[in-house]
Amino acid sequence: MNYMELLGALAPEAIVVLTALVALAVDLLVLRQAPQNARQVVAVSITAVGILAAIIALSVAAPSPPWMDGLLINHSTTAFLKQTLLVLALVAGILSIQSRFTQHTGEYVTLLLLSTVGMMLLVSSDNLLLMFVALELTSLPLYVLTAFNKESPSSSEASLKYFLIGSLSAACLLFGISLLYGLSGGITWTQLATTLRAGSEPIVYLALILTLIGFAFKVAAAPFHLWAPDVYQGAPTPVAAFIASGSKIASFYMFARIFMAALPGTAGSAAWSGATPGWVPLVAALAVVSMILGNVAAIAQRSVKRLLAYSAIGHAGYALLAILSNTEQGMGSLLYYVVTYAVTAMGAFAVVNVIERDVQAPNGESLTDFAGLSRRSPLLSLCLLVFVLSLAGIPPLAGFFGKFYIFIATAQSGTSQGLIWLVMLAIGTSAISLYYYLQILKQVYVVESVGQPTPVQLRPAESACIVAMACTVLILGCAPNWLINRFSPNSTEVRRAGVITKPSTTLELAAEIHPRITAPLGTATGLVQKRPQFETTTANAQ
Amino acid sequence: MPTLPDLLFYALAGFTLLFGFLCVANPFSRNPVTSAMFLVLTIISMAGLFVLLQAFFLAAVQVLVYAGAVMVLFLFVIMLLDIKEEERRRLNKAALGIGGVAVLAIAGLLVRALVQATPLASAAGQRAEGSTKPLGRLLFTEYLLPFEILSVLLLVAMVGVILLSKKEMK
Amino acid sequence: MDFIRYLDPTVQFMLFSAVKIVLVFAVAMTGVAYAVLVERKVSAWIQDRVGPNRAAPFFVHYLPVVGPFLTKLGIFQPMADGLKFILKEDFTPSYVRKIYFWIAPAISCVPALMTLAVIPFGSTLGNANNPMVIADLNVGILYTFGIVSLGVYGIVLAGYASNSKYPFLGGIRSSAQMISYEIAMGMSVVSVFLVVGDLNLSKVVAYQSGGIHEWLIFKQPLAFFIFLVSAFAETNRLPFDLPESETELVGGYHTEYSSMKFALFFLGEYAAMIGASAMMVTLFLGGWTPIWGGAPASSLLVGLSHIVWFLAKLGFFMVLFIWVRWMLPRFRYDQLMNLGWRRFIPLALVNIIITAGLIALTHK
Repeated sequence: MNYMELLGALAPEAIVVLTALVALAVDLLVLRQAPQNARQVVAVSITAVGILAAIIALSVAAPSPPWMDGLLINHSTTAFLKQTLLVLALVAGILSIQSRFTQHTGEYVTLLLLSTVGMMLLVSSDNLLLMFVALELTSLPLYVLTAFNKESPSSSEASLKYFLIGSLSAACLLFGISLLYGLSGGITWTQLATTLRAGSEPIVYLALILTLIGFAFKVAAAPFHLWAPDVYQGAPTPVAAFIASGSKIASFYMFARIFMAALPGTAGSAAWSGATPGWVPLVAALAVVSMILGNVAAIAQRSVKRLLAYSAIGHAGYALLAILSNTEQGMGSLLYYVVTYAVTAMGAFAVVNVIERDVQAPNGESLTDFAGLSRRSPLLSLCLLVFVLSLAGIPPLAGFFGKFYIFIATAQSGTSQGLIWLVMLAIGTSAISLYYYLQILKQVYVVESVGQPTPVQLRPAESACIVAMACTVLILGCAPNWLINRFSPNSTEVRRAGVITKPSTTLELAAEIHPRITAPLGTATGLVQKRPQFETTTANAQ
Repeated sequence: MPTLPDLLFYALAGFTLLFGFLCVANPFSRNPVTSAMFLVLTIISMAGLFVLLQAFFLAAVQVLVYAGAVMVLFLFVIMLLDIKEEERRRLNKAALGIGGVAVLAIAGLLVRALVQATPLASAAGQRAEGSTKPLGRLLFTEYLLPFEILSVLLLVAMVGVILLSKKEMK
Repeated sequence: MDFIRYLDPTVQFMLFSAVKIVLVFAVAMTGVAYAVLVERKVSAWIQDRVGPNRAAPFFVHYLPVVGPFLTKLGIFQPMADGLKFILKEDFTPSYVRKIYFWIAPAISCVPALMTLAVIPFGSTLGNANNPMVIADLNVGILYTFGIVSLGVYGIVLAGYASNSKYPFLGGIRSSAQMISYEIAMGMSVVSVFLVVGDLNLSKVVAYQSGGIHEWLIFKQPLAFFIFLVSAFAETNRLPFDLPESETELVGGYHTEYSSMKFALFFLGEYAAMIGASAMMVTLFLGGWTPIWGGAPASSLLVGLSHIVWFLAKLGFFMVLFIWVRWMLPRFRYDQLMNLGWRRFIPLALVNIIITAGLIALTHK
């Protein structure tokens, strides 16, 4: 083991940590007396430079074999996810310029970046220890960021709830992974996968449940969602946006990886007839509760941020379907889904941020503040239309394909399509969700605003971000292949084993990959149970 | 015939559980200071368990850090905030029901696991290294990365605490 | 004494341990009593007074020459003090929190005595299998720190239990003060262990054997200084006795205490001084080793002389503690915190880095 190699493999993370320190030092040492606006611009510029450097470092980094007996992994999928996370962090930074929730710009940017580092490490981590540390590094800054608005009691309240429930779930997770360690004697995915088998020890199920609780909290799946509405509403909007997007991507990826890669032996089945115990039926239960509760409760909301929180719970339910499909295809669809969802949610929150600044209501925005937005700012309304319709899953936007891939992956997994009942339920709840999404659009496009419509003040950087995100959602919807192919098995699992291949087309790949994966890797990771089928599904979709 | 370490184990484990219970649900006192003191006793009993496992370093650090520093600060805060005896809350029937079901389910699972459990054939990996040198060596070689990440985590905690506890200057 | 040799090793070990515990306890308690006397005498000399020179049991009066001399030295004063404490009315105010009020003095006194368990107070008494230390722990220093850190509960709980303002302020002050200086103290010791390479206190003494030039006080002067000052803060002695500063807080955490409970606090403070002095002797002044040589004793007489060496060094630090108390004014609270956090902790860190760097350079 060589320290320099380790540093090289972690260069992007190191760059981000350094950026955070520089931003903090510059803000506290040099710009103490400077006007607030200048400090924000400088801090965000430093952030942008650091994030760009990290993104470049990620794109030139060579995929590496598993590090140090499975401490961390770097391959093209993790690199792409990290780049997405960095971009989202940058957008959250840009959104906070000119917002008045805090004067501590340096600390804000630092915590944002360090949380991003936690997420990046979470994406890369290949064993229980690093996973837990990274998860804590992700969460702790988010707790503080949630409380950043010291003038608003709801911000502190949200932070306290987030912190208490978060600590409790971290304790559950720790208990769970300590049991997993005790049962298997190892902390890497490979060690866990080779030793843990269904029915070997009943206490495995306790470990599964506790681990599941920890992650269900992180992804805000019902019934562990209680923090989400308060945090989304109480936290400063850029922070809420980052919690809803970045933290979701990292947590879902880790959620899927720990269960698919480390615990395939205890999967069980959630088929309608013939369910067997394991983590899949548990995830199915979470998914069912989340989809129903999230989508039904969202109808009653009057605050758009709160509505987005409940919609996030519903979306977590859909994403859980991808996890419980427990196939490589499910993993690909999950990543497509969470990435597009993150961009969409970030966009929606960005619009809410603008409106919130515009109305300056003491209790935050409400649904009626969006009345007549189409007259006041056609551009903003159009972007909001894209985001909301994508969240609702209307073709040809990215949200549609996200759901579509997940439903396909879920329906095809399991024996004799036993999971079709979950897909039916998901489609049903999607239909319900249309109602409240259209409520927002009704306010924007149909309801007249009170009094004379005044144009909404938009800053160039902010509007550029919003438009860019809307375009991303549109493009990813029109050309989903580009993204989903990144998550195809060749980029995730073959490189993981150090076998770097460059197949010319995905079709060739599918033929080539099957024997290779199933022989050495299928047993080692237990990940691949079915042949990848993206080509057919994407073809169907078009 | 149980050996002395066995007896000590059961005694210490019993103390840990008893003090832990008294920390969260003391039927005689609802004073937060009392709870904190029982938490200190829980931690010390756990340190005793570490001693039984020959993990002297962990035991000492457990007492030094948790009982000696963290809990003192807890007490400090409890006293400064002058938290009165916690009122007896009205019991929320729904919450009680759901919580009860969850507790029963997990307890049932545990009992079932205990009943069906077979003695684990030393599955817990290599023996825990108690002395300081191997521990330090592991931390700085094999687990260097998580160790270093913890330093970033501490930085976050520091920045966060200063930020949240400082008075806002207008 | 031949029968000891025929005993089971376990029984032998337990027997020796029990004897050692009783002896250490007895010496420590006597030490506490006479430390109080020394305190009073030294303060008297510094302030140009006479100090205790009357108390004596009746029969001493009849001794020629020796009797009046001993009385003048105040040798019998501790007994009178002890008797006074026991006979005083043990008053418990009505508003205190009873349980904590009763436990606190005990908690403040027990940890101070427990630290003595790992201190090697001599080499051997001729038998190499029976070192002069109660518990030869591998993590001796961490044990000491752990136990010392529990001592703060006595003071904090006393402040809380008294349910009155000044004791409470004293308790709050002491918790912040002791935690702050524990960090500086712990960090100063790290460099010592970098040099020695072991946490076992017997190994630390063994490293320093060979004469005065091997003592760690000369190899780690900065660490010694930080440890010394932190020890004053940890034991709540002047110039850092803010938890009980009588001009501000009446008496601090023990304002509401009287009689034997008060005496326990007193005892705890002096026992903590003895413990801290013993630590400093062990870590920096070579423990029981004489200023020349220092191989473990092979005969009873040499073994006893090692114990005397240890006690002499201990006495030096006790006198230092007392002398400083009457020479230096009290710090202000912000100065205290400033010194701890912004001077000593960075200094100790720098010391660690320099020491580690030197070791890395010299050890290939």
